[in-house]
Amino acid sequence: MTRPKPWYKHGGIITGIVLLLLILIGGAAAALVFTQQSPDQPIQFPHRTHVLIGAQCQYCHPAVAFSAEAGLPSTDKCWGCHQQIERQSEQLDILASYVESGEPIPWVPVALLPDFIHFNHLTHVDSGIACETCHGDVSQMTVAEPQTRWNMGWCLECHSRTGEENFVRLSDCATCHY
Amino acid sequence: MAQVTEQPRKWGMVIDLDLCTGCNACVTACAMENNIHYTGEDEVAYGRGLYWMRIQRYWHGEYPNVGPEFTPMLCQQCGEAPCEPVCPTYASVHSNEEQINLQVYNRCIGTRYCANNCPYHARVFNFFDYEIPAPMNAYLNPDVTVRSRGVMEKCTFCVHRLVHARIDADTQGDPSLENEVTTACAQACPTNAIMFGDLTDENSPIRTLFERSERGFQIMEELGTFPSITYLKGGGVYGGRD
Repeated sequence: MTRPKPWYKHGGIITGIVLLLLILIGGAAAALVFTQQSPDQPIQFPHRTHVLIGAQCQYCHPAVAFSAEAGLPSTDKCWGCHQQIERQSEQLDILASYVESGEPIPWVPVALLPDFIHFNHLTHVDSGIACETCHGDVSQMTVAEPQTRWNMGWCLECHSRTGEENFVRLSDCATCHY
Repeated sequence: MAQVTEQPRKWGMVIDLDLCTGCNACVTACAMENNIHYTGEDEVAYGRGLYWMRIQRYWHGEYPNVGPEFTPMLCQQCGEAPCEPVCPTYASVHSNEEQINLQVYNRCIGTRYCANNCPYHARVFNFFDYEIPAPMNAYLNPDVTVRSRGVMEKCTFCVHRLVHARIDADTQGDPSLENEVTTACAQACPTNAIMFGDLTDENSPIRTLFERSERGFQIMEELGTFPSITYLKGGGVYGGRD
């Protein structure tokens, strides 16, 4: 006489649990991988090349100095330099086609924050925070890459280093959430 | 690094009921400024309308000498706010910097304790996700979060304007820029019945009115909520009617 198998030793249940675990682990792994990848951009813009020839971040993103948003350069700004110099890449033909058609380049945003956060570039640039503190070392990137650490603890960790008297203001909810 | 250069301000408001005509311009301006959803007639009838500000109307006198009296009612930004201690997720918090009550939308889980504990009925709840009809989504204010379903919301004293004014004052090195800030309702009021300002500023035009006006009173001040809004109401003659 054999005792009936307990419920958790049935093959179907075990298979189900293993499948569920695989799905959960696979989903988590896929989420980790896909959120760290750069999205497909219309032009493989080489940030590295522009930084290495000495272009300042604010030359193409000047709005950081007076606005909450960093902004993207118009095709006119790209073309202002690139119609003068020799085309060394087929990517510049794509740029030329956008300039001829007058269409804006449909860049895919990478540095995204949720809607309930109101980040202001102006205050951070005014306080002397370097761009690479948040955006990573752009001189090693072609297209902009998403950064991994953008969460509230990371913001507050930097804010807490500004001193106790400033931390009252910089840890206030209304500083970012309104 | 950003430097704190002065004491925290305390923002306050004075509403002169003798000047208010009940025109609802403040309600409209508030809705446009703060991305307040339009819920529709049926939802308002169910008591689910979204207003951060409303005009309470009372009838005054005996027939035929009946006249209306209007009281703009909004979040009083209490010093001892009844909404704050009841929130289980600290979504309703007191701002030490702005000296107002904040509603942190991403913390809010929609228990609605705060609205039930508010004696002024100043808080409203997003019972649904409300659709914004096509041309109107272009009017959304990018400085204010668009609230989604299940989130409590209320008047913020236009805190985005306060923050932006402080950023302008800090970055341009001109503290007077911060004194010029005003709320959308005060800006829209055609009779200047709503006045907004800094109560810690000696030169602020509303400070005397707020603290010393003989007509001044605060709604439900017996509850000890220490509101940041003082109403002015005289017992005199208005518009030829007694």
